[in-house]
Amino acid sequence: MIELKNIEKYYANKGVKSYILRHVSTSIKQGEFVSIMGPSGAGKSTLLNILGMLEEPTYGAYEFMGEDVVSLNERKRIELYRNHIGFVFQAYHLIDEMTVAENIEAPLLYKKVSSAERKSRVADVLDRFNMVAKKDLFPNQLSGGQQQLVGIARALVAQPSIILADEPTGNLQSPQALQIMELFKKLNEEENITIIQVTHSEVNAAYGSRILHLLDGVIKEDLSLQQVI
Amino acid sequence: MYLLNFKIALRNLLRNKMASLINISGLAIGLAACLMLLLYVSYEWNFDRGFKKSGDTYQLMFNFYGADHHIRSTGNQSPNTIAAVLKEEMPEVENISRILWASKRLLANGKNSFKVNGRYADPELLKIFDFKVLHGNLAKALDAPNSIVLTAGTARKLFGSTDVLNRGLKFENQVEVKVTAVIEDLPPNTSYDFDCLNSWKLYEQLNTWVIEPNWHNYSYFTLFTLKKGTDVGLFNEKIKNLSRKHAPSSFSEAEPFAYPLVKLHLYDRFLNGKVDGGQIDRVRTFGILALSILVIACINFMNLSTARSQKRAKEVGIKKTIGASRSSLVSQFLMESLLLTLVSVVIAVVLVELSLPKFNQLVSAELHIAYGDPLNWIGVFLLILFTGIVAGSYPAFYLSGFNPVQTLKKTVGLKSSFSLNFRQVLVVVQFGFAVLLIIATLIMYDQLAYLRKKPLGYQVNALVEMPHEGNLYLKYDLLKERLLASGAITSMCQSSGSISQQNSNSTGMEWEGMSEGDKKMSVNQIYTGYDFVKTNGLKLSEGRDFKKGLGSDSVAVMLSQTAVKMMGLKKPVGQTVVFQDVKRQVVGVFEDITWGDPAKREKPMIIAYNPNNSDVITMRLNTDNDLKDNVEMIGQITKEINPDFPVDVRFLDQLVAEKIKDEATMVTLSNLFGGLAIFISCLGLFGLSAFSAEQRTKEIGVRKVLGASVQGIVGLLSFNFVKTVLVALLISMPVAYLLMNSWLNKFDYHISIGWMVFVQTGILIVVIALLTVSWQAYRAAKGNPVDALKYE
Repeated sequence: MIELKNIEKYYANKGVKSYILRHVSTSIKQGEFVSIMGPSGAGKSTLLNILGMLEEPTYGAYEFMGEDVVSLNERKRIELYRNHIGFVFQAYHLIDEMTVAENIEAPLLYKKVSSAERKSRVADVLDRFNMVAKKDLFPNQLSGGQQQLVGIARALVAQPSIILADEPTGNLQSPQALQIMELFKKLNEEENITIIQVTHSEVNAAYGSRILHLLDGVIKEDLSLQQVI
Repeated sequence: MYLLNFKIALRNLLRNKMASLINISGLAIGLAACLMLLLYVSYEWNFDRGFKKSGDTYQLMFNFYGADHHIRSTGNQSPNTIAAVLKEEMPEVENISRILWASKRLLANGKNSFKVNGRYADPELLKIFDFKVLHGNLAKALDAPNSIVLTAGTARKLFGSTDVLNRGLKFENQVEVKVTAVIEDLPPNTSYDFDCLNSWKLYEQLNTWVIEPNWHNYSYFTLFTLKKGTDVGLFNEKIKNLSRKHAPSSFSEAEPFAYPLVKLHLYDRFLNGKVDGGQIDRVRTFGILALSILVIACINFMNLSTARSQKRAKEVGIKKTIGASRSSLVSQFLMESLLLTLVSVVIAVVLVELSLPKFNQLVSAELHIAYGDPLNWIGVFLLILFTGIVAGSYPAFYLSGFNPVQTLKKTVGLKSSFSLNFRQVLVVVQFGFAVLLIIATLIMYDQLAYLRKKPLGYQVNALVEMPHEGNLYLKYDLLKERLLASGAITSMCQSSGSISQQNSNSTGMEWEGMSEGDKKMSVNQIYTGYDFVKTNGLKLSEGRDFKKGLGSDSVAVMLSQTAVKMMGLKKPVGQTVVFQDVKRQVVGVFEDITWGDPAKREKPMIIAYNPNNSDVITMRLNTDNDLKDNVEMIGQITKEINPDFPVDVRFLDQLVAEKIKDEATMVTLSNLFGGLAIFISCLGLFGLSAFSAEQRTKEIGVRKVLGASVQGIVGLLSFNFVKTVLVALLISMPVAYLLMNSWLNKFDYHISIGWMVFVQTGILIVVIALLTVSWQAYRAAKGNPVDALKYE
């Protein structure tokens, strides 16, 4: 599903290139649960952003579902967001002015899903996440864990084939973090959704099927966890 | 989606109360100004357009040539002969009519009598204007000399009903007239308005000198319609030499031309025979002012939304990652500004309704909001759309262009330095405009005070006048005797026109030592009896006033100093001049009086003895008594002598003040708009300083921890804003100087612009701006640094 070939990313400052990613090549198949790990400044988030087409690599080739997406125009990229990619953020990034239900409904609106189907899908997701009672609350009325659940619900409602999560549990206490990880695992196993997360936590990474270790912009290690389990 | 956007916009409005308040109040004021402008412009634009043939109706105007064969002046009055000639010689003319200026006419239905605005006109006037008839037949309504056409309002006032066909009325206490038609009241924006219309034949019967064909007495208006498809340019070429052909003259050279009726009101000022503005200038000025206020309010909206951009940027980033396209974001932001505009419009309409009466008084118009008129709704709709889009476009396109990664990573720093600059530019625009208006107001105010204080050449205090009419002609001497005896007045005179307003001039004066071209010199003229100098308080530099008992004084004149100078008379007193074909002797020379526009240089003036030509009685009140008692006494005695006419005593100082009403209106307008501009700009500045203080909370905290004082921080936060205001001052002061200089140059007598005005304005603006920003800065500086720092 994802093919990265020789991805490079650097910022040129006064003629000095400061590299963030170097020679990153990997491929991720549909249904994988990948954790990207590494120390601060290793380029994890940049890699995830490139995967999410939020940033462009300086060099290299990136194919998403067989399509070259390095210099995709904005309209096509938005099409991909609407149909294939769900984002989950460390800071949740819910829209403060929208209620829980409206936050979840928003991607469907942009996808131009009919009103009736929107209603049923939102209801369905709310039900699955046990949040029916909270649907009319605003984000600032929820706890962090609940906000992240809404964030994931919002990423899921458009039925993406891949979820990109940037330290999804970074702001959460461990019981809530575990709950989110369980959820990811379930989604990965039951619905075959590809999940790529950036994390600092070995525990979180253990939920996945594969770990990419980054150090100074280079993939140091590519571990498959299947054998471990 | 739109519903959701709408809901979010509403929540945003409610959540950011201060920003919403600033935006809505600013926009409401701006929109109110614009709505007022729309009403005013449509009122002025529709002047005289209400008639079916408005587009084909013309007024005859004349270009008068001076001695040097250049157009000296342009007039809108014609001789009484030219209408008939045009009708006969020019097949293009469909209908043509003479019409007189409106004057107060006394109409009496038994004891019920009123003075109303009346005009005389030829019967064809009723074919030029298709008045809406309520009763009667317009086709023949003015055929008989004793016929009268009433407006519905006049009919109701006199008879209590409009169904008064063939009822009799006493006209001017002189003749019986019969109502031949009642028409609907004329709209207030009609140039040739009247309350009653009489036949021209009656005018001729009552004033025999009107019958005499006279090509050189330009006293009447001539209106006509041209047949469809007539080329006006060609027509004007054809009639150009009409006056020269029919009345060749050495002292007057005039070229007639047709001028469209619909342009009459807005473009009525001519310079060298070319249109040189008129009322349109005021419409324009007002338009610019109103639009500028709106733009200032829109700038507030832009500035406050971009100041909040950090917060909004996050929203943009999220929405983009869940699939929002740029256009959907743009439409969302526009929706927000449109919603805000909508709320503001509602408030604006209320504001307009509240201020319309005052405004109508100010610009002497009768504006009102016609809620039933779909055109108004379209206008308002377009205004909302325009404002919403102007105000919303910058934030919409600026915010929607954010890159999601940058916004989500909280590094909007890349663009914020630019946005700060742009915001400052906008603030400069706002304050620049405010500075311009303040300087303009101050200078206009000075000029106005200067014109008010400029010596008139006569003593205007305690001077009153009333119309010379009815029995007062025969019993003038009795009136004078009784009034003087009563002690109410100390002096009294009669004259052909009011001393407060230029109303008559002529050419063709001859004197010894003149050149041939001097015949074309235009001279202001007043006819009078005795005591003119004493009553009005003129200053004689030579000679004397007309004296009773001196038989030779029946053909005497007095000249103004300017006249003496222009005529080149060495020893004016005792000289003989030929004035209106009569040889007259100069007995006195008086210091110039301000008769016409106080800002314009006076024409030469002549005061001639002729008590038979009198329209006005002027009286000097006895200042030993209470002025009110004096006026009451005058009323009492006048009513006894002339019982059929209502008494109408007017103070000259008020009439003189009327003359600079236009300038006074401009001062009031620019004062008002200047105040609004400052107010709205300061609202915006207040909002911006609040956000800036909020944004820099951390910086302030750090500085305080490092030992900065409160004053130091207030200075730091305020300086940025004061800097922008200083830039605005620097830019707009020269602009103001140039603009006001050219405005002043329109006056022959004007002040020079002093540097004090600029200093005053500068200090005022800086102080206001400082007060506005320092409040927020002070609040931020007083905060506990721990609160500021613990959130990172």
